[in-house]
Amino acid sequence: MPAKRIVPCLDVKNGRVVKGIQFKQLRDLGSPVELAKRYDKEGADELVFLDIAASLENRGTREAWVRGVARELSIPFTVGGGVSSAEDGRLLLRAGADKVAVNTAASNRPELVTEMAEAFGRQCVVAAVDVKRDPELGWRVYLKGGTQPTERSAIEWLWQLNELGAGEILLTSMDRDGTLDGFDLELLEQASKLPIPLIASGGAGKDVHFLEALEHGADAVLAATLFHEGILPIPTLKTYLAQHGVVTRS
Amino acid sequence: MLTLIDYDAGNLASLEGALERLGLPYRLAQGPDEAGEDGPLVLPGVGHFESAKRSLVQRGWWRELPGMVASGRPLLGICLGLQLLAEGSEEAPREDGLGLLPGVVRRLGPGVKVPHMGWSQVTLNHAHPAFGNPTGGWLYFVHSYALEANEGTILTAHHGRDFAAVEARGRTLGFQPHPEKSGPLGLLLLQSALAWMGATRETTCN
Repeated sequence: MPAKRIVPCLDVKNGRVVKGIQFKQLRDLGSPVELAKRYDKEGADELVFLDIAASLENRGTREAWVRGVARELSIPFTVGGGVSSAEDGRLLLRAGADKVAVNTAASNRPELVTEMAEAFGRQCVVAAVDVKRDPELGWRVYLKGGTQPTERSAIEWLWQLNELGAGEILLTSMDRDGTLDGFDLELLEQASKLPIPLIASGGAGKDVHFLEALEHGADAVLAATLFHEGILPIPTLKTYLAQHGVVTRS
Repeated sequence: MLTLIDYDAGNLASLEGALERLGLPYRLAQGPDEAGEDGPLVLPGVGHFESAKRSLVQRGWWRELPGMVASGRPLLGICLGLQLLAEGSEEAPREDGLGLLPGVVRRLGPGVKVPHMGWSQVTLNHAHPAFGNPTGGWLYFVHSYALEANEGTILTAHHGRDFAAVEARGRTLGFQPHPEKSGPLGLLLLQSALAWMGATRETTCN
């Protein structure tokens, strides 16, 4: 089994990495290339960039920073946000992204996942899924950055994404996102039955949360604020995980 | 000078970045006529065996590469590039490989997640003059098929079973992991491989 991965997530708006509070007050954290280099040095195993204001107009800006990151980074990275066609994916991969994340567009048109898997190989296709638990119906899929509820069962959708050709799942618990209370372990246990790798997202607040998520079936753990703010440096986290028997890249 | 084979089946940006960081000048060649007379050839590749092969055939590489290797040009295949250099692959059972590296590429699994995606440790299988002993080091892999370990295997990795992570025959080398995506160790192995193949650093006049 490959090493468990530690994955910082960076939100990008108009070519800058930002930290957002409900999309209202955005704080500029630096350029994608600068932050990528910092995380590379710090021992991150992979990076995820989410373009939170993707539009047709800023496509050129996005390709430029993706190309810059690819040149400087010595670890893999995924780019997502507003990817709505195989052509969008092709442009990002050509600019140097290792994987492309799809979310809302895949839900609206599931064949997109298959088209991308056939064109680029399924290892390049990450299906990002935002979910929220309904007390009666279980976990439901939310779209458009978590703003649009659907009737879709999250667990069924994950299996369907696997069938469609997704190579990896990036699963965000909206119930936990931003709470710092820990990942949704029940959700991870369900999702880790899939035969493709699972990145857990939403809820990381301290070292033990990462350990729990990895022990409950996640292949990789994602967080933003904890890493950006230096609250939990990646080397500290890796040492902690090693002390508890979880193997990461050293 | 080093020649990077550009055939629309690879993510060249990262590899170009790595070569720049190593200070190794290179040219991009879409066809063998753009590959110069000497210096190492690098065959990257991601995607499907059959479509990559088709693209190499269309651009004339498939026909020319064996002769270029026979005349002494060192060749490095990376990821799907390695697989194309082998005798064949289960991914495209009706197609031959280039046969420049020994063995056949088979699907990973069952019993493990496929694709094998992430960081795995390598183990020295046979000493090779290009490399030290990186046993225990971590490299980044993304693949669903792998070359069976054989007599030409320098480093192995494990995912469900042992497979060839670095393979060599004569001056032809293959990397299953992405050295350009594998942190400092990946860069070191890439540098060692290319130095052994005869790539030279840029010289300056100061």
